[in-house]
Amino acid sequence: MEIEKRVVELTDRLNYIKDIFGGRENANIALMQARLAEFSSREAAAAPGEKAQMVRQIEDLFAFLENKLDSELVPMDMVRIVRHPARVSLKDILENVYDNYTEIGGQDEYSIDPSMLIARAYITRRQGDRVVNQPVMVIGQEKGHGQEFRNGGSVKPWGNAKALQYMKVAETERIPIHTYVFTPGAFPVEDYPGAAQQIARNLYEMGGLRVPVVSVISEGGSGGAEAIGLSDVRMMLSRGYYSVISPEGAAAIESGIRQGQRVVPELIAECAKRLNITAADNLRMGYVDKVLEEPALGARPHHYDFFKTLRQEVIQATDQVFLGISGFKLFRALVASRRKSGDSESMFVRWTLDDAAADRLVWKRYCKYRRMAETAYRDGRPSGERIASRAKSVLWSGYSFIRYDFLRKHTKNLAKAAGDLEAELRLVAHKLMAPLRKTRDKNAPVVCDPAKSRMLTELSQPEQGACLEEFGWSYVSPKAAEDRAVTCPGAKTYGCPDLWAPDLYGDFAGVCVNCGHHFPMEYQWVMGNVFDPGSIVDYDADIEAGNPLDYPGFEEKLEAAKKKTGLKSGCVSIDAKIEGIKLVSTVLYSAFRGGSVGAAEGEKFIRALARARRRHYPFLAYVHGTAGIRIQESLNGLIQMPRVTLAVRRYIEAGGLYVVLYDTNSYAGPVASFLGCSPYQFAVRSSNIGFAGPGVIRETTGVDIPPDYHQAHNALARGHIQGIWDRREIRKNLKQVLLTIGGRNLYYR
Amino acid sequence: MSTKKHKVLVANRGEIAIRIIQACVSLGLDFVCVYTRADEASGHLALARSLGGPNAAYRVSSYHDANEILAVADHAGATAVHPGYGFFAEDFRFARRVAERERSLIFIGPSWRIIRSLGDKINTKRLARSLSIPTVPGSDRPVYDELEAEEIAETLFAFQAEQGISNSVVLVKASAGGGGMGIEEIYDIEQFKTVYRRIRNYAKRQFHDEGVLIEQRIFDFNHLEVQIVADRTGTGIVHFGTRNCTIQSTGRQKRVEIAPGFRPQEVDYAFDAEKLMEDIVGYSLAMAREVGYDNVGTWEWIVSPTGQPFLMEVNTRIQVENGVSAAISRVRGQGGVNIIAEQIRLGLGEPMGYDQSNITFDGVGIEYRIIAEDPANRFTPWVGRIDQFLAPTLPYASLHTHIPMDEPYEIPTEYDPNLALAIVWGKDLAEAKKRGVDYLDELTLSGADGTGTELKSNVRFLRDKTSTILQF
Amino acid sequence: MLLVIDVKALLENIKAAPYEEIVVAAPHTGTVTFAGIETGAHVTGITGAFGEKPGTLLAKLTRENNDKPLFANAKGVVGVVHRELEGRFVEAGTPLVVIRHYLSKDEVIANILQKVLYLFCAPERAKYYFIPSIDKKVKASGPRSVTVKPGLELFIVSRMKREKPLLYEGPEGIIYAVYFQHDQNVDQGAPLVGVCPADQTDLIQDVVNRVRTDWEEKE
Repeated sequence: MEIEKRVVELTDRLNYIKDIFGGRENANIALMQARLAEFSSREAAAAPGEKAQMVRQIEDLFAFLENKLDSELVPMDMVRIVRHPARVSLKDILENVYDNYTEIGGQDEYSIDPSMLIARAYITRRQGDRVVNQPVMVIGQEKGHGQEFRNGGSVKPWGNAKALQYMKVAETERIPIHTYVFTPGAFPVEDYPGAAQQIARNLYEMGGLRVPVVSVISEGGSGGAEAIGLSDVRMMLSRGYYSVISPEGAAAIESGIRQGQRVVPELIAECAKRLNITAADNLRMGYVDKVLEEPALGARPHHYDFFKTLRQEVIQATDQVFLGISGFKLFRALVASRRKSGDSESMFVRWTLDDAAADRLVWKRYCKYRRMAETAYRDGRPSGERIASRAKSVLWSGYSFIRYDFLRKHTKNLAKAAGDLEAELRLVAHKLMAPLRKTRDKNAPVVCDPAKSRMLTELSQPEQGACLEEFGWSYVSPKAAEDRAVTCPGAKTYGCPDLWAPDLYGDFAGVCVNCGHHFPMEYQWVMGNVFDPGSIVDYDADIEAGNPLDYPGFEEKLEAAKKKTGLKSGCVSIDAKIEGIKLVSTVLYSAFRGGSVGAAEGEKFIRALARARRRHYPFLAYVHGTAGIRIQESLNGLIQMPRVTLAVRRYIEAGGLYVVLYDTNSYAGPVASFLGCSPYQFAVRSSNIGFAGPGVIRETTGVDIPPDYHQAHNALARGHIQGIWDRREIRKNLKQVLLTIGGRNLYYR
Repeated sequence: MSTKKHKVLVANRGEIAIRIIQACVSLGLDFVCVYTRADEASGHLALARSLGGPNAAYRVSSYHDANEILAVADHAGATAVHPGYGFFAEDFRFARRVAERERSLIFIGPSWRIIRSLGDKINTKRLARSLSIPTVPGSDRPVYDELEAEEIAETLFAFQAEQGISNSVVLVKASAGGGGMGIEEIYDIEQFKTVYRRIRNYAKRQFHDEGVLIEQRIFDFNHLEVQIVADRTGTGIVHFGTRNCTIQSTGRQKRVEIAPGFRPQEVDYAFDAEKLMEDIVGYSLAMAREVGYDNVGTWEWIVSPTGQPFLMEVNTRIQVENGVSAAISRVRGQGGVNIIAEQIRLGLGEPMGYDQSNITFDGVGIEYRIIAEDPANRFTPWVGRIDQFLAPTLPYASLHTHIPMDEPYEIPTEYDPNLALAIVWGKDLAEAKKRGVDYLDELTLSGADGTGTELKSNVRFLRDKTSTILQF
Repeated sequence: MLLVIDVKALLENIKAAPYEEIVVAAPHTGTVTFAGIETGAHVTGITGAFGEKPGTLLAKLTRENNDKPLFANAKGVVGVVHRELEGRFVEAGTPLVVIRHYLSKDEVIANILQKVLYLFCAPERAKYYFIPSIDKKVKASGPRSVTVKPGLELFIVSRMKREKPLLYEGPEGIIYAVYFQHDQNVDQGAPLVGVCPADQTDLIQDVVNRVRTDWEEKE
């Protein structure tokens, strides 16, 4: 009986190995298979003792070969490991790592989203003779060993909302948070709260969480991972992967295949390699702090030693965070950083923090992310210039303080006193004059003041010339030079006439006069027609998009984009004015690699935000179009999601005004982070805003979506954006926004 | 004219299309027409085919689609486009496209920049004021400031009171509006604030522009206009007198037009009508010269009962009533004048060839617009089949119509139910009025619609109104 | 009013000519380039869950440097292709392709229903709209949610930019079919709605069922 069981186990192990090697030919696997087959053929004839001997031999062989095979794993195998139903899941961890736990808001499929699991748990530690239960909030995706209702750990927007809710609870209860990332990616539906918008909200809030967050990544699939992944210590399981996109997705883009076609497995494997998705890769690049070694060929629920290690590691990581921010560090911090893993429970660290510590925590978190990906872009400026610009920014901070904080307060007080005085005098004068006014004769002949009547019959403001209306726009699209007619997509529904290109792209600003459909225009249109003429000054133009992973073939594509646009990245940072109000703006434009965001674009965003903060200027992110994170940079791109969001948060908390304006098509990562986190998001009419395009949605959800699924008006109806603007009125609306909304620290207020 | 023989595309239908075709033929020019499925029975198509052969007309999907017009122009090898009135006549974009496309054509009308600047009423008013030409008292640009608006309204009431106007009314209207929307009257300055805010908010909602215009409302006025004709050089510029278009339908649509605008020889006016006509002609010419006007156009005026003129707007096109001016005008050495032919001739670049001293006026002309409509019921259009249409042939009268006289004709629902223009001439007002009434009495018009209801027309209305012609 | 409906005969009639010929004409002027379609080729109409996929490409009409595709709007077999017009400039309304469209079940039902329902017709050529309250109901829960009785204000007649109300005349019943389209002129005498008197709903349903079982759709 016992032997039978062991044989079944061996068969399972073999099948698992075959699974994760994806059908690849391998001599070791063949050997294991042969030995197992040999046993079953000889089993009947063998005596019980002999059988046990044979099984033990095979078991030894398996253990040996598994270790050997482990070293042969390629990145794609890691992907198969984490996706395998046998992989450890969050429930296993809760059972084995924590001493006690209560699941919150879920009982298998009865949950708002069974793929997001929340639990209050505690870890029991010893302080001297006392036993202390240290509570934590555990949040993570549950794949449930293939349970269908878990949706493979692909979390719906409301699942992420639940995660955020309990992070806030943890903050209120002042307990640390442990997050476990087990997701292939977020479920890309737009239903409220919306995949992208909710992830953005999570990132924004996590950026400011006043309790430590420790995260452990097993399967870090893009935006879904970021939704709970922003943390103070980021650890990764050694057989996990953490990537901007699934290898299949990357391969599909790479090969440019159409819907429904299949990509060859070799290309997928190749992409998995190119994307640098393994734990070792991410450690090398600096996107995780530590790699937790797993048993050979990946951790499965029976690897009890693994859970023990995991327990030590999360305790130690949490200790470290607390010690790092405590005002009273002493010796323990030193010890904590030096001690070997495994004896973390030998020393007690209290998991509590005061306000000052929480401030330090948040600041350290900001700094941690600010330092990431700093080598992933190219900085073309000579070093002297870099130093000078840093010095200049310090000067600006000082100037702004004196100008807007110090001086303004005093001028305001003076002005207020003068105003009060004037109002008093007026009232007195009014009272004194009252009897005089009453005596005026009502029947006196009416005489019109000749100076005033001239106003009725003569040209007013003659200095402006007779013709008031200006002609057209100051920037005119080159598309307006073509002599051709253009058909409006609304023609079928609204009967729009064909429009002449010079009218449409010139005077009409790319707007169909009949139905109001907005044709896409170049980003230069907004640059030229929204900001005050001559007010645009661009900077950071030397920050250049690079190819940090030496992704094959990408260098050429980048060169082509640079040549086509004459710019070095997909982001333009400018200072500009709108009716005299100075502002900082960054423009993400679609002509450069689809407006994708990589390390260079993220860096430019962060610098522009810092500039706006120092100068007390409002900030406008004009998203002419973005296809998402630049996949060829993998994590260097993906990390811009939390990284830039933290910078946005810092700017907003400093009292700024962060306005996002979407034009044409904006999707994926950027929308799900530093754009979507803005409380003031507007869209130009006919633009599309969303998380994933229709093709990806069909692939992941199996549902066909209506053609207008991502249209701005639907985004507005779902509560994702705050308004839709006509392109011709962007300037007017922006002026209105600058005057009516925003934080306390805008220079012109 | 240049050595190249021009071919004019007639981008219109009905009566005006017919007159353009006739003018082209009289000038020795080629022409090409367009028509729609609904207009297959129209006289303009029959005439085009009979004068120009089977290839002289193209079926298009719509008269409103510039792409259709230009595609046909290219295929037919047209060198110029005549827009007639309505449709593209005052569309500066069409004029610009015609002139600036790769295969450019001549737009028979003023150049597009002129159409654009005079097509805007506020611009027109400011232009007029810059030349000290009288305009309706009030603001000449959109007002955005409430205090400023109130001051203008207040002054307007005082201004009217000073002039002895007892029932002062001030109009507050959305500057981006039109067609009677976003316009209100106030009778007292106390009402102003409420009305102003209502209009401003309406304008903001409706047109995304808060600009408001404030103007005096003028009552009981006569509607006069001055016919200007200029060549492309901008130096050859003349007028063909004035017209009076005061008789209108309830919807402010002209129904009867008379040339000249006043007749002091036979009618008593409370002011010097002769001088007034001279004044408005002078003003109109001055403004036309100032802007470099380069084709036919009409300056529209309103004249208050006390004889004050105010410029209302400029129509940068040939007008329906051009024929009535022609009826009383003669050019020395040339005889009668056809203003449409002149428009084409000058539009193609020929110089004027004569000046104002060569133009003389004689007698009175009346034009009646005969329309299938019900004057008793807010001039509701009538649509159906016309069985019989007979008009007297007289030396002093002419009839312009696209309706075939020899067979029944179904009025298309797609277009206005204008049937014909009848122009009569008399040596003086009395004779013209008598001839007009007689002419209308002799006109036979009958038909029925699908339900058997008999044809409704405004002939009786026109006849009754004749007695009030040219009087205040 | 009692209708004796010989559905069978009606069906036989339709079976004798089980298709209609759809003439695809040039919607406007332009130069024609035919797509690679030949007589006998199968074409499809608009498809997709949201009607987002256009039918088979029939031709391209180029006007003012603008290529406009011309798609089949119904499923069927290509009858005639006016190849002689290839590369030529055509006037608006010129026939380009003829599609032989085999009637689907729904179309046959509509066809027969037109013969058995009470048809309320357009008194004059004009554009017709339901009055707003009924329009709302029709859009929300379909025409069959509307019960009409004589004297009910049902339509707005829009002609020459003027509008007037139109009262329903005929038997009381529910609106079973709507035959006019928004923003399109309806000829005088053409049906606007088909009304099913309340006591005949079963009969009508019977007709529908008969067609559903008897009619075979052809490709």
